[in-house]
Amino acid sequence: MIRYIIRRIIYLIPLFLGILIIVFVASRIAGDPVRLMTVQNPHITAESRQALSEYYGLDKPLYYQFFLFLAELFQGNLGNSYALRGGTAVTTLIGDYAWLTFELQISALILSLLIAIPIGIMSAKKQYSKLDVSVTTTSLLGTCIPVFYMGIIAIIIFAYFLGWVPAGGAHSILAERYPFGSYALDGLWHLALPAAVLTFATLAPVVLLVRSSMLEVLRQDYILAAKASGLSDRSVVYKHALRNALIPVVTYVGLYFGGMLAGAPVTETVFNWPGVGRLFVEATTKLDFPVIMGITVFITIMTLIANLITDITYGYIDPRIRLE
Amino acid sequence: MKKIKLVKPKPPVRREKNRSKGVSQWNIAWRRFKKNKAALAGALIIGFVLFLAAFDALIAPYPPNATPGFYIGEARVAPSLKYLFGTDYVGHDVFSQVVYGARSALYVGFGSAAIAMSIAVLVGLISGYYGGFVDNILMRTTEIFLVIPFLLILLVFLKVITAVVPSGVGGLSIVMIMIGLFSWAGNARIIRGEVLRVKESEFIEASKALGASKRRIVFRHIFPNVLHTIIVLTTLMIATAILVEAAVSFLGFGDPAAITWGQQLQKANEAVKEAWWEGVFPGLFITLLVLGFSLLGNGLRDALDPRLRE
Repeated sequence: MIRYIIRRIIYLIPLFLGILIIVFVASRIAGDPVRLMTVQNPHITAESRQALSEYYGLDKPLYYQFFLFLAELFQGNLGNSYALRGGTAVTTLIGDYAWLTFELQISALILSLLIAIPIGIMSAKKQYSKLDVSVTTTSLLGTCIPVFYMGIIAIIIFAYFLGWVPAGGAHSILAERYPFGSYALDGLWHLALPAAVLTFATLAPVVLLVRSSMLEVLRQDYILAAKASGLSDRSVVYKHALRNALIPVVTYVGLYFGGMLAGAPVTETVFNWPGVGRLFVEATTKLDFPVIMGITVFITIMTLIANLITDITYGYIDPRIRLE
Repeated sequence: MKKIKLVKPKPPVRREKNRSKGVSQWNIAWRRFKKNKAALAGALIIGFVLFLAAFDALIAPYPPNATPGFYIGEARVAPSLKYLFGTDYVGHDVFSQVVYGARSALYVGFGSAAIAMSIAVLVGLISGYYGGFVDNILMRTTEIFLVIPFLLILLVFLKVITAVVPSGVGGLSIVMIMIGLFSWAGNARIIRGEVLRVKESEFIEASKALGASKRRIVFRHIFPNVLHTIIVLTTLMIATAILVEAAVSFLGFGDPAAITWGQQLQKANEAVKEAWWEGVFPGLFITLLVLGFSLLGNGLRDALDPRLRE
């Protein structure tokens, strides 16, 4: 098992390097980093430009700069922002914003799995019934609605017409606005709408996946054997079929999580949610490359870890997969 | 001695007239497709949007980017008979803008899908057929593109290109090309899998035994047998590309000179409280068009896959 994990990790290194190279190339196409760095300072002299360029090793060849970047990265140093909060360290910035992103994405992921699995099972158990048709139709529609459109509609209905929840942000500005004066409840109150919308958006593909996987398992011979030996429907579905039906779902959870993190700029922009996604949009608009690279590295690492966990779980729950 | 009478054999009866004409694979697929109401609905939606895009100048009551409501105090008025979908913050007629947006959506959808699928087919065929070292290199590259936080990289590249290239060059085409270049990986992998499956068939073996060249096997024997997968993936890719373009425009990284539904949603997002109609209608059209391509793709999958045939 440990050998397998180590092999998977070694396998991820070239992937990670490839992604770093792509972002690095983008950052250098954008233009001279010194110019981007000093865009807000009109008084900068040619000498200080030169000094900055030497300080950051920008006068060296490109491959050398890349290794410099790598060396800094492995020491946990992602540089300082060009434009945000007066040049704060990128790691501090990400640290400040990442928690809110996780709060939103993970709550949506867990909620959608909790809802999607039972719905998918019910739908598969009664294939082509009215319930099944309406579930598959709604799910298909759910995969076609852009998440930001869903967000805008939800804001119009629940925040403005009904006034149940705030339209955006992660916390009320004034402490008097906290429900029952509690900071934690205020956070939950703000989380409700974004989490609900993201849950619904994630729900649709998972329902379709659980359904099709369950249908396939229910067609297997051993299910027929279980039924023939007189086991109740409930026991056949939940004890025998479900375990095998969930295997592909587990594989997809890792992929979905990566996709959700990469989609964070969109979800967080709609709900004005102060997470890394919105930070990324802000940094990109200002061509603030240390922050851009930092967030890309951060999200890539998270995605790779999610994939790794998926791989390991997959090998663990499916005895057909050999871990060598 | 009896003379043997030579009987002239009867000419064979020409049966061609009576024989029922052979049904081609495409004929079978079409018959199955016709029965699928959801797929037909999808085709109908796409036809409707194509119609809007083709005759946009005739359908839209106002010219592109015209602000009929601006000077007469009719900015941000609710939908009425005069303005079918209302007007936005500077008095654009939302209905006209939605109609003009159809062309952008289809342009990016078809264009990006064409680019992405060309790469995917090439990578899939080569990787699947040749295997070995080539396959290894191509598949590792594919994996990088699969794990890459696609949207993030796309935004950075779009921003960088618009910063480097002088304004007015490319615009929507740049968005289209970038989406295409970054979204082929998943499809390449699926096509490779299909190629691997077909490669093991006996008819490929037979063709090899007859001395067919590798190129002939790949293009004359394998390609037609994975074509149905390619058609389905292309249809679904169009849907994805339309969604991605909308997201990119929504975040403000699209082409500011083009009229797109995503951009209309971005503007609307700033004022959902005052004017719900600004966002609801463009978004409805994105959803509709994406739904159309998804339904068509699913229908084509059911119709074209020979394994699903009874």
